[in-house]
Amino acid sequence: MAKESLTQAMAIAKSPDEAKKEVKGSAAFVVFMADKGIFVFTAILIAASMTFVDGFASLQNLTDLFHRAAPIGIVALGMTFVVITGNYLDLSVVAQAAAAGVILIAVSNATNLATAFAVAFVVAIMFGLVNGIAVGYFKANAVIVTLATTYMGLGLLRLLSGGSQVFGPSDGPIATFGSSKLGPFPYSAVVLVVVAIVLTFVLSKTNFGFMVRSFGVNEKSTRLSGTNTGFIVVGAFLVTSMAAMVGGFVLAAFSNTAVSNMATGFDFQALAAIIVGGTSVFGGKGSVPRTLLGVVFVSILSNVLVLSQISYGWQQVAIGSLIVFAVTVDALGRRAGKK
Amino acid sequence: MSNQSVIKMGSEAKGPLGKLRVTLARRTEGRAVGLFIIIATVVTLTQPLVFTAYQVTLGRIALIGLVALGLTAVILMGELDLSVASTLAVSGVIMTVVANETNILIGVLAALAASVVISLINAFFVAIVGINSFIATLGMLFALRGFALVISDEQPVKLLNVEFGIAFGQPILGPLTPRILIFFAVFILLQVFVTRVRVGREFLAVGGNRQAAYDAGIPVKRRIFTGFIISGGVAALAGVINSLERTAADPTAGSTVLLASFAAAIIGGNYLKGGKGSIVGTLIGAASLGMLQVALTISGVQVPVQEIFIGGILLIAVITDPSSLRAVWGSINTVIQGLKNSRAK
Repeated sequence: MAKESLTQAMAIAKSPDEAKKEVKGSAAFVVFMADKGIFVFTAILIAASMTFVDGFASLQNLTDLFHRAAPIGIVALGMTFVVITGNYLDLSVVAQAAAAGVILIAVSNATNLATAFAVAFVVAIMFGLVNGIAVGYFKANAVIVTLATTYMGLGLLRLLSGGSQVFGPSDGPIATFGSSKLGPFPYSAVVLVVVAIVLTFVLSKTNFGFMVRSFGVNEKSTRLSGTNTGFIVVGAFLVTSMAAMVGGFVLAAFSNTAVSNMATGFDFQALAAIIVGGTSVFGGKGSVPRTLLGVVFVSILSNVLVLSQISYGWQQVAIGSLIVFAVTVDALGRRAGKK
Repeated sequence: MSNQSVIKMGSEAKGPLGKLRVTLARRTEGRAVGLFIIIATVVTLTQPLVFTAYQVTLGRIALIGLVALGLTAVILMGELDLSVASTLAVSGVIMTVVANETNILIGVLAALAASVVISLINAFFVAIVGINSFIATLGMLFALRGFALVISDEQPVKLLNVEFGIAFGQPILGPLTPRILIFFAVFILLQVFVTRVRVGREFLAVGGNRQAAYDAGIPVKRRIFTGFIISGGVAALAGVINSLERTAADPTAGSTVLLASFAAAIIGGNYLKGGKGSIVGTLIGAASLGMLQVALTISGVQVPVQEIFIGGILLIAVITDPSSLRAVWGSINTVIQGLKNSRAK
């Protein structure tokens, strides 16, 4: 019932998109770049890296690239849900992924793997609920809420783990998972693909995914058509928490160690991947496959920067500027499309 | 619009009780005062050393409060400047590097000039391109953090003129160090600017209703530029003071200041959507958090626990905003209505 009326509402909301097609000249170019630019840029980046960067096209580097891309990619895929609802981002993935990694190794050392999974799951649910309820029901700003939960989470984690690194046994199941490969693809890359397929299905085929997109397009009409909008936001944050948990597992398994600051930088690398992929920070527009493409782009870019021996500082400058650039293209595309 | 309702309430108010009600309805500092009273009471009972060593406490309040005061100018317009943390780091590094080559004065000027450039970039993306300030300044936060690492060669830069740095940390007026004096000077300047100067008053109008402000002839874009320059400049000042007092600039500085200064500004009653708030509120918020931090440090509480405390206060501050409470009350009402309706059927 709610879904039918929303379909109509979305059809009306979509009509500006139809008008977009008639835009001519430079405006049309901007609209094109905002929508399809990522395909062009990724193709150029891959071609350029293969030609100009030594050691990029080797099998070893490819495996390495997948290893680094997988944890951030999984986090970014989940965070896409929060961005599509128009709530900017979830900064606390830094704390969530680190918590999941440390819990996985520390708790499985103390007891067994099943207990570790259970504890990490409960922690992830807690994070998702606190963020989601504060943003969805209290209508608080997502950036500030997740900034607060990041510090609370990291503080708790550092307190409980003593801030020290935890190591898993070198012949345990976690170490085996982290070092195994399926052809040239490490298991972590397989997890990335599985998460992408599952989340694509959730976002595009389920009622929940439909509500998430509809909420991003127009919050008010979604509420008026009888949807529990607070619940949708909580759901989006829970999806992010689950993805951050899996990302933390994969990250910890890769090196078979975990420490409270191991996920530093996940927040903005994931955001960069999402925005570069073409998901709009204004909400409502975006998809999981787009984020996957963004992850490919950002990972290749960081990989090339590392291979070219560019310092860590410049890498951060590059990715920060990339976020601002991508948002600018998005904003300009939006404006050009409206005219 | 909010202005009108205030005037209406004023005209209805009668007697001292009515006047008190009007004052309470007008002021936004309620939560800050509440927190201040709670923390002051607990601290007096358990850790009176905080007041005996008031110099330390004032120093900490100035550390948190300076950045928060600058932020308030932007928040009043309904924007946010997340990049202040990196502006602080970048300006500290620039000041130290330039001062080592030439002298302190040129270093400070270079740092302030850099902060103006950063603010102009921020304001350009927010006012001209039209990106939401949360995202634009977040991108700048990351980019500038990298930039600070680039100019410092990824390690802390030592200030060569150590004598000046040490002298800068000493009290010059009674028990007050230059940091505390600068903090109070900035507070007074901003308080006068926001409550008495036309440009400052217009910040509140821009935050309250941007379209109405534009229609009333306020140059909205220019006000946004001014606001960002204030927040960036004050953050740079804080960065310069930090580097001088520690006689070294840390390129990764600012991540802890970010949390505390946001908490101070938001608990101070500055409404994130703009149009409501006050500089005094931020001061009270900063004073509460400063006392709390010093009390926790004196009691030997570890840094992670302090972060949990301040993170918790920020979370509570942002969800006990009047509009947040109204939103929750609204959804509770809806549920009650739903239950009533289903029972009626």
